Amino acid sequence: MELLKRQETWNITYTHALGETASWFYVQLRDHGKLYGKRDAKSGRVLVPPRAFSDQTLEPTTDWVEVGPGGRIETFTIVYEEFNGLPPPPYAFGYVKLDHADTAIGGFFRGVDLSNQEVAAEQLKIGTRVMTKVAEKRIGDVLDFWFEPSTD
Amino acid sequence: MSGRVGIIGIGQSAFVSRRDDASYPDLVREAVTLALNDAKMELDGIEAIVYSLSPDAMVGIGNAERLGVDAVGARNKRFLRINTGGATGISSVEAAYYHVASGACDVVMTAGADKVGECGDSQTVLNKIWDPTYERQLPLGTITMLAMSGVRYADKYGMTQADMARVVVKNRMHASKNPNAHLRKQTTIEEVMASRMISWPIKLFDCCPQSSGGAAMVLASERYIKERNLDAVWITGLGHCSETYYLGDRMGTGFTADHADAYALRNAFNRAFKMAGITDSAKQVDVAEIYAPFSNTEFHSIEAAQLAPLGASPAMLREGQFQLGGEGVVVNPSGGTLCTNAIAVTAMVRVAEIALQVWGRAGAHQVKGAKRGIASGNGGDHQFFGTMVVEA
Amino acid sequence: MTYLVKTGVIGAAIMPHVTGLKQSLEEVLYDVTQRALRDAGLTIEDIDGIVTGGNDQYDGRAISVMAASGSVGGVDRDILSTPSSGEHAFVMGTLRVASGHFKTQLIVAWSPTEASSLAEVQRLAADPYFHRRLPQDEMGAHAMQANVLLAQMPGLMETAQKVSAKNRSNGQSAYPGIAADGEMGSRYPLKAGMASAATTGAVALVLASEDFVAEHKIANVAWISGMGWATDAAFIGDRDLSQSPALVAAAEQAYGAAGITDALASFDVAELADATPFQELLAYEALGLAKRGDWKDSVESGVFSKSGKLPVNLSGGAQSLNPVYCSGLIRIAEVALQVLGRAGAHQLENVRTGLAHAASGDAMMYNTVVVMRRGEQGVSP
Repeated sequence: MELLKRQETWNITYTHALGETASWFYVQLRDHGKLYGKRDAKSGRVLVPPRAFSDQTLEPTTDWVEVGPGGRIETFTIVYEEFNGLPPPPYAFGYVKLDHADTAIGGFFRGVDLSNQEVAAEQLKIGTRVMTKVAEKRIGDVLDFWFEPSTD
Repeated sequence: MSGRVGIIGIGQSAFVSRRDDASYPDLVREAVTLALNDAKMELDGIEAIVYSLSPDAMVGIGNAERLGVDAVGARNKRFLRINTGGATGISSVEAAYYHVASGACDVVMTAGADKVGECGDSQTVLNKIWDPTYERQLPLGTITMLAMSGVRYADKYGMTQADMARVVVKNRMHASKNPNAHLRKQTTIEEVMASRMISWPIKLFDCCPQSSGGAAMVLASERYIKERNLDAVWITGLGHCSETYYLGDRMGTGFTADHADAYALRNAFNRAFKMAGITDSAKQVDVAEIYAPFSNTEFHSIEAAQLAPLGASPAMLREGQFQLGGEGVVVNPSGGTLCTNAIAVTAMVRVAEIALQVWGRAGAHQVKGAKRGIASGNGGDHQFFGTMVVEA
Repeated sequence: MTYLVKTGVIGAAIMPHVTGLKQSLEEVLYDVTQRALRDAGLTIEDIDGIVTGGNDQYDGRAISVMAASGSVGGVDRDILSTPSSGEHAFVMGTLRVASGHFKTQLIVAWSPTEASSLAEVQRLAADPYFHRRLPQDEMGAHAMQANVLLAQMPGLMETAQKVSAKNRSNGQSAYPGIAADGEMGSRYPLKAGMASAATTGAVALVLASEDFVAEHKIANVAWISGMGWATDAAFIGDRDLSQSPALVAAAEQAYGAAGITDALASFDVAELADATPFQELLAYEALGLAKRGDWKDSVESGVFSKSGKLPVNLSGGAQSLNPVYCSGLIRIAEVALQVLGRAGAHQLENVRTGLAHAASGDAMMYNTVVVMRRGEQGVSP
């Protein structure tokens, strides 16, 4: 028998409130190109990206701490497959513990030739020092910055 | 104290990529009918239903459990839905367990289905699981998220891509014996290694498929089972545990959960083991169905189940452990999530499979003499973990 | 009650109307949880399990519970979520404590208004096979239910308007400054003041077992002496919208467990689902409070008014404040707080027993009924 299909697309736009903590973080990034974390007073750990509370201690975070621009790679991946709605491959991204931070923040890695998988993976291996770069035009978003392997 | 909670019926589809012959509720009904036939009972005998469904967007229907109400025969009955992402299926069995253990009901069914193959791109949907504040802007998906776990695991314990390939070879060999598995073609280390790189270090053959199909289970109180002299296997342990939402909090300094490992899964297993009186799982368990949608994640899950010391499972697999006919605990004799992944029910299938194993009804992939099995499910961004112990 | 372990509510917090951009969703959830814990006199260390109720499409997050794990204290804890409705989280949490496996549960539900159109969000719940192309949202279904009742009962509109006036008046006393007044008719035959626009809201409750209550010498508990939950069919066309068999079934479960035979005489206070006044009227009948032939007289004589025999929706109900996805759980929290004596501006004196009815989905598809009784430590309800 004839079997039919129907194509349906979901199209809802969401306007999410970022709240005071993330707003302050993104304004500093947008206007001054600087990254900050927020300290959980109970554990002393600096959370980057900053959260209003620690999900470990459930205490509100207190003071702001400038972090980076240097850091170390905590993990990475290099994507060679195309996915709908995601960037064209190849691209590399992962997580970096910025200097003075205790947690890692996600971002793209640039300045690495991704054509040879093994060589690229070696250049991004865990522990590699990186430098944070910020875009000239910034909108207050995670994509305003990225990481490049540093030689220091 | 109320008595134990038993499993008296199991149904699961033969999972495939697409089921154009069946609508979403049709697939749920298929599993329900199989489970009721297995339990030799009618829908009328079911007092409550726990509906197993992970992200709505994956089936493309908001609150799709509503559409499933008639498929599970729930009109004017107790009905609710559970969602803990990939762990949903085992969380639903857990929820059904509490329906019985609390004394509220004697007979409860949990059921669901998924048609992942109908979703335009599951990784696009799955990117939307991350918070819109900090992490969603990145091209995160479940593959990249767990690839980054694999990178950390390899760095910490020395896992190689050939080790990962060995998991695929084992599970495909298991799946070839399981008529309900989706990817049933056997493979070789060379073939896995030659498959294209998706997200370093995960290659195409290291990935689970997108499966369509349903699953259902009927649970009952010990009193109900004994009064009717029914055949049953018993849930003797269960537990859930969660980790932080933020991937970046599982690394750096001073963290509790390492993204390399499955920290909260270990805690969840410990809860289930304590309840079941298991003190040494590697010795006291016969079979394990452990949720691992990518080859690398089977290692840290085996270790969280304490079937191997931390970092030791790749070497043990190399030595021939964890496979049918091999030494020690057999892991994922069904082929596991790596060979079949209908997300809404894939963690329920883990429980169903160990139940069949300890029942001695697993067929060609039966682990000989299995009396005690363990199952797990992982959901969210490696965030929610459910575990269960089932005994004959 | 037939449950293995006696379970009660020991704390709750309701945030029915969150405005502005100061808090992200996760920060709202953190806030409401901390408030509920303070109300219960506990810290998160006392909580050994959590159940949440959120909706992926309302939240714009593909797995809504993910945002609610860290923020409510889910890290290292056993957390489940019931996206079918906020009130189902309460059902699940109660079953968990009642099973003896948990001493406490934290229950949280929320409902943001960050989507471009809530109507469009709700329309996604229509099946793609037959109904998706219709402009069907929940208020549209509620309106069709009202039309069916109006066709059967001439003159019902007047009674319904009186129910709305009662709830709106209660709302102004209970939540002055934030409760809705006027506006929102939008779906024929609903008139202005018969429904309220969606707000952003969140609610949290703390449940504890009898042992925990005794151990911590908690003096004030709203014991759950009866609970029922049931669903109607999904397709509107399969239902007689003038009846609510699922609510009848849920009430039978709850009343059976609590030993309730004469419902109107058994409760000091009630909070009933009232997305429209027609739903509240239907609930009167299904819950055994007033048959439809008595709706007019009961409403006009003030049986369900503030000073009546059984005050219904002293909080103002969903007709005054409607964070849609957690309005059901708020009904339960309002009754718990009344029984605990901590309801705030609208606290009724000497509340010993309360009835809560929560409904979700199109035209009261899901129905949950909870009977709560006040009890002192060591005293059986």
